[in-house]
Amino acid sequence: MQVYKALFKVIEKNLPQIIIYLIVFIGVAVGLSNAGGNPADMNFTATKVSIAFINYDKSALAEGLENYLSKNTNMIDIPDDNEKLQDALFFREIEYIIRVPKGFGENLMMGKAVELEKTAIPGSVSEVYLDNIINKYINTANIYISNMEGLSDKQLADFVEKDLEQKAEVRLNRKIEEVSRSQKVGIHFNYMAYSLFAVLILGVSTVMLVFQDKDLKNRNLCSPMTIRSMNTQLILGNLTYAVLAWLIMTLPGFFMFGSFMLTAKGMLFLLNSLIFSLTALSISFLVSILVKGPGAVSAAANVISLGTSFISGSMVPQELLGNTVLTIGSFTPNYWYVKSNNAIAGMADVTLKNIMPIFYNMLIVIGFAIASLAIALVVSKQKRIG
Amino acid sequence: MIIKVNNLVKRYDELIALDHFNLEVREGEIFGLLGPNGSGKTTAINCILSLLKYDKGTIEIYGRPMAPDAYDIKRNIGIIMQNVAVFDELTVYENIDYFCGMYIFDKQRRRELVEEAIEFVELDSFRKFLPKKLSGGLLRRLNIACGIAHRPKLIILDEPTVAVDPQSRRKILEGIRKLNEEGATIVYTSHYMEEVEEICTRIAIMDKGKVIASGTKDELKGMINSGEKLTVEILEFNPNILEGVGSLPSIVSVDYNENNNMLVAKSRRGKNNLSALLEYLRNNQINVGRIYSEPPTLNDVFLEITGKELRDHV
Ligand SMILES: Nc1ncnc2c1ncn2[C@@H]1O[C@H](COP(=O)(O)OP(=O)(O)OP(=O)(O)O)[C@@H](O)[C@H]1O
Ligand SMILES: [Mg+2]
Repeated sequence: MQVYKALFKVIEKNLPQIIIYLIVFIGVAVGLSNAGGNPADMNFTATKVSIAFINYDKSALAEGLENYLSKNTNMIDIPDDNEKLQDALFFREIEYIIRVPKGFGENLMMGKAVELEKTAIPGSVSEVYLDNIINKYINTANIYISNMEGLSDKQLADFVEKDLEQKAEVRLNRKIEEVSRSQKVGIHFNYMAYSLFAVLILGVSTVMLVFQDKDLKNRNLCSPMTIRSMNTQLILGNLTYAVLAWLIMTLPGFFMFGSFMLTAKGMLFLLNSLIFSLTALSISFLVSILVKGPGAVSAAANVISLGTSFISGSMVPQELLGNTVLTIGSFTPNYWYVKSNNAIAGMADVTLKNIMPIFYNMLIVIGFAIASLAIALVVSKQKRIG
Repeated sequence: MIIKVNNLVKRYDELIALDHFNLEVREGEIFGLLGPNGSGKTTAINCILSLLKYDKGTIEIYGRPMAPDAYDIKRNIGIIMQNVAVFDELTVYENIDYFCGMYIFDKQRRRELVEEAIEFVELDSFRKFLPKKLSGGLLRRLNIACGIAHRPKLIILDEPTVAVDPQSRRKILEGIRKLNEEGATIVYTSHYMEEVEEICTRIAIMDKGKVIASGTKDELKGMINSGEKLTVEILEFNPNILEGVGSLPSIVSVDYNENNNMLVAKSRRGKNNLSALLEYLRNNQINVGRIYSEPPTLNDVFLEITGKELRDHV
């Protein structure tokens, strides 16, 4: 394990630079968690969410929904003009837009799946809150439809209204507290993408630069150690480094959020960031093949980690970034990582249906890892031939 | 035969770096590969070590074909590269331990070997130093320690004394001799003919990718026509002397340097050349000061075969 051990000695010599990134991360993480009020104190029933309700269905059920939502939210009157609606969303005049398409009531009555078009600030508490109460309305309606035949839509709307009025929103409130707490964790993990990326590029490239040095490489090739063994040790070493870096980076989370990290959501955050670490590792491999010299390494670490984090919502929330930026951002794994974090944060219940999109994002992140490894292999082969 | 290289050809695009290069190294010798800069010494060594692909020829070490995956052969070779190859991040001790550890897995044994290597190159007081903190000579010694710590039977050194102070150079040359006395076969490349003459038992002289002559130094010197270089101090010089000395049958060429009043005559290979010159000077009543007679050098061998000076390239 000569190579493996030497690899860590090389990292050890470059530790001061790496530690700077860690300190910055911890500093920012603590800062972020103290910003804003304590989520447990938030009173959501007092501050009603502002929404736009656009109704193209004149059925009693659509009206019932409007009626029901008007009691639980603050409805703002905005004409159905895309630009105006987007502006209102951007400036937080409203946090949720819901469009009821024609035929909504009819479809509901016939037991068909109904589609409500919604636009929301993704991952926001209000999104979760509204998704919840809208689902509740539709689910309640469904229960009546499947159990009592021959109801008119007017009767149905009345039943549902009465039914919902009786139910206290206690359970939901607790959910919202939990969501707003996980939102903080989400922000924390989003920011972690930057630090993880920087630390990995820095460490891996520094190490690989040393072992790829022509003279040292030739000297190693003269030894009886097989190339396979050498490469295995290098990969193992870098993998160890990546996992160690990830573990250390997750520690502040455990200190700040405590037992939350052990809940299903906490575990999802951890899994997501572990997968991201491994992808950052393979991108670091690619970077190490492309850069020349230690100066270029720290420049690359800075530019790549900061650049990808910025355009993909690690630092500035995704909903505040323009569409163009987000489109560009979607070509980085960070974007999908952040998207997953936001989805985990906004999740009211950890159900398979909720998790699936997150797993899908994780697959994309893994795809980035495979792609960069493939490119790294091609480039290094090309280099050997050249 | 420890190393046997047959008709090796290596080209870099247009440039033919090795042109039917042949080499035989026998057990127990200090074999010198002497050639000016760019003559192909490093290329030859790198091909022998399977670090470079070559276009033609065969290479055998210990009687077996050498290949990138001939790990059992590699196990018995110690290599000191022309370019120092050590980790900047590892200390002197850690570097030697790293390279030794690629050959020796037993920790206790390795510790002993590393200590011996440190002692051998006299780097004891620098064991905790990083390579960047070492002078050129000390760095070369570290490079050597990394190559020999595992006690290989065959040691290849590619210009280990380039840019080294005289003191370190002495130590390195003595060390090589000692390693040889302890049983290692040595291949030593250099463009310093004095070094090669001093320590090598057999020598191959290279030029433009070819071995142009090989043998012991006496055999090499026996191949050429020039004999001793005779230098005579003459204070009262006149041009007739030059003509007279030049016409002596045993003298090939003669020259006079007015700055130091030295007459330099190159003699033909043969016996009693100095007597003939002295007899001529006495007969013509020419007073002489100091007199030197130097046997031919490898430079003379190189000069005669290639028509150019080996030294010029130093
Ligand atoms: N990678 C390369 N690409 C092209 N030409 C090369 C390459 N390496 C060496 N050469 C050329 O091959 C010839 C032999 O070089 P080599 O390094 O083997 O000489 P050398 O005898 O070791 O010289 P030195 O005393 O300077 O170390 C030189 O003309 C050199 O320019
Ligand atoms: Mg050379």
